[in-house]
Amino acid sequence: MFYRLSGVHYDSFASDSRIFKVPADRNLAVFFLLFGLAAPFIIPSLYLNSYMLPWLLWTAAALGLNLVTGWAGQLHLGYAAVMAVGAYSAVHAVRFGVPWEFALLIGGLASSVIGSLFAFAALRVKGLYLALTTLAMQFVMDWVLNHSPTISGGSHASLQSPTFALLGQEITSDVGYYYVGFGWCVLVTILMLNLKRTGLGRALVAVREKDFAAAILGVNSFYYKILAFATSSFIAGVSGALLVATFFFLAAPEQFSVGVSIQVLAMVIVGGLSSIIGSYFGVALILLAPGLVNGLVVAASGGLGMQVTDETLAHIPNAIYGALIVIILLIEPLGLGKLYGNVRDYLMVWPFDQLRK
Amino acid sequence: MTKNNQTTTHVGDGALLECSGIERRFGGIVAVTGVDFVIRPGEIFGLVGPNGSGKTTLTNAITGFYPPNEGTVRLAGKDIAGTAPHKVAKLGIARTFQNLALFNGMSVLDNILLGRHIYMKPGVLRTALYWWAAQREEIENREIVEEVIEFLQLESIRHELVDGLPIGLKKRVELARALVAEPKMLILDEPMAGMNQEEKGYMARFILDARAERGVSVLLIEHHMDVIIGICDRMLALNYGEMIASGLPRDVVNDPRVIETYIGGAHG
Repeated sequence: MFYRLSGVHYDSFASDSRIFKVPADRNLAVFFLLFGLAAPFIIPSLYLNSYMLPWLLWTAAALGLNLVTGWAGQLHLGYAAVMAVGAYSAVHAVRFGVPWEFALLIGGLASSVIGSLFAFAALRVKGLYLALTTLAMQFVMDWVLNHSPTISGGSHASLQSPTFALLGQEITSDVGYYYVGFGWCVLVTILMLNLKRTGLGRALVAVREKDFAAAILGVNSFYYKILAFATSSFIAGVSGALLVATFFFLAAPEQFSVGVSIQVLAMVIVGGLSSIIGSYFGVALILLAPGLVNGLVVAASGGLGMQVTDETLAHIPNAIYGALIVIILLIEPLGLGKLYGNVRDYLMVWPFDQLRK
Repeated sequence: MTKNNQTTTHVGDGALLECSGIERRFGGIVAVTGVDFVIRPGEIFGLVGPNGSGKTTLTNAITGFYPPNEGTVRLAGKDIAGTAPHKVAKLGIARTFQNLALFNGMSVLDNILLGRHIYMKPGVLRTALYWWAAQREEIENREIVEEVIEFLQLESIRHELVDGLPIGLKKRVELARALVAEPKMLILDEPMAGMNQEEKGYMARFILDARAERGVSVLLIEHHMDVIIGICDRMLALNYGEMIASGLPRDVVNDPRVIETYIGGAHG
């Protein structure tokens, strides 16, 4: 009901191409931005650090994968490997004496270079073959991390991350970490929002939909695929480095294993391909639902006075969480973002829903 | 007679597109061979032939999808045979496809804006810094797109997704996308396939207006002979990949070989 298009008029092309055309969308965005800024004063420190921070950082990472998989349409199964490159390069750079600002940039660029070098080879094939090739990249990276002590400290080892600092200011508090993650997530989100209304975004979608038609319009599909890989790898690298610097505090190969790659892909798909708000929802579901479901199951079994063995208790949340993903994708194959879009479209014309197209 | 005078005034001298000795083979199959023709600036040039006669292969040879095995393609005197499709666009050739090639999931406006891609410089940083680095370029191109939207009367659907449009409108959106690239040479592959008489009339009028107002030359592939005869200055007929007739439409359609190809010969 508060979503309304009526009464919204444009008198210039600039206002017609604004990001949020519905006033309610704009107000919601401003509200969540302010909420994000005020969160440390509202949300207890424990939740801020164990839920909000990882949510924002993984959302930034998922948006990067969404760029290459959702927008450019290239299936990527080695995303965690690219994050690992960024994380390890940044941590090594800092240990070498480089300030964190530059280390993050180095991490992003290293990921970008390795990601696009790999894409150069991988993009000779399409579709499932590309997916398998990116999976190979993941395994190569796993192997390198486990077999080169100079990078990872050897198998089963971990690399301590030096104290995080920005602009000469050491950041050690939960609030500080939160704002760093929040800032990065906002930056990535702005890039993605602008992608929806610029030539780059259109070119990527053109490459995804029909590459021959894109070609005759002058879009060099190989170039744009590489550009998509390079950009998404940069986002992955910085996100990986920030995860290590503000959340894990140490880098270990398991943090960037093949399982993590699949998990990020699940976040993007459950959230909805090429949906920005969907990535936020998808990450929330994949990252936070297991914990929530676990808490609910424990509370329910306790409340009902049932005797549930620890083993069962460990498996029930996983089963529910898996079922949740299947149910969501059955209801709306385009993911949570589309589900939200449906509700929004309905409310846009409510109570005159017979006007809906 | 007046009609002929009217149409021929647009046609200049010289050659805009000059194809000579074009041959394209797929394995042992010769899809097109020995095709020569010249399209003059401002000319609407018809290309007809039964299914499988090599019309689309010929356009694919010109636009770089299947470079010709032999022969030359000259655009304004410059040999472009074998140029990759994404470079052909920058040289001033635009085309539409027989089986619609619009980008689903995008609005009509975004589809048409893609036609301006060759005039834009999309980049990651420019996208991130939209307000300072990209907005002006987007708006400048939007203005040109809006001219064409008005020209082709697409104002009411510009924000709709292309997925659900009827085929007549889809074909018009595709024509708009080709026109905003401001091409010298426009290749239309069956722009009226699947249309009713009224939609055909609209499309024929749009093609004539595009030539008159925007000065494009048109290579028009069509099966509707009434359209070809009605709007083309000259034409070419293909059969089994070979030229069987070329020249003025009324001469070509009366050529015995063309009649035999379309209606069948008198046996016995």
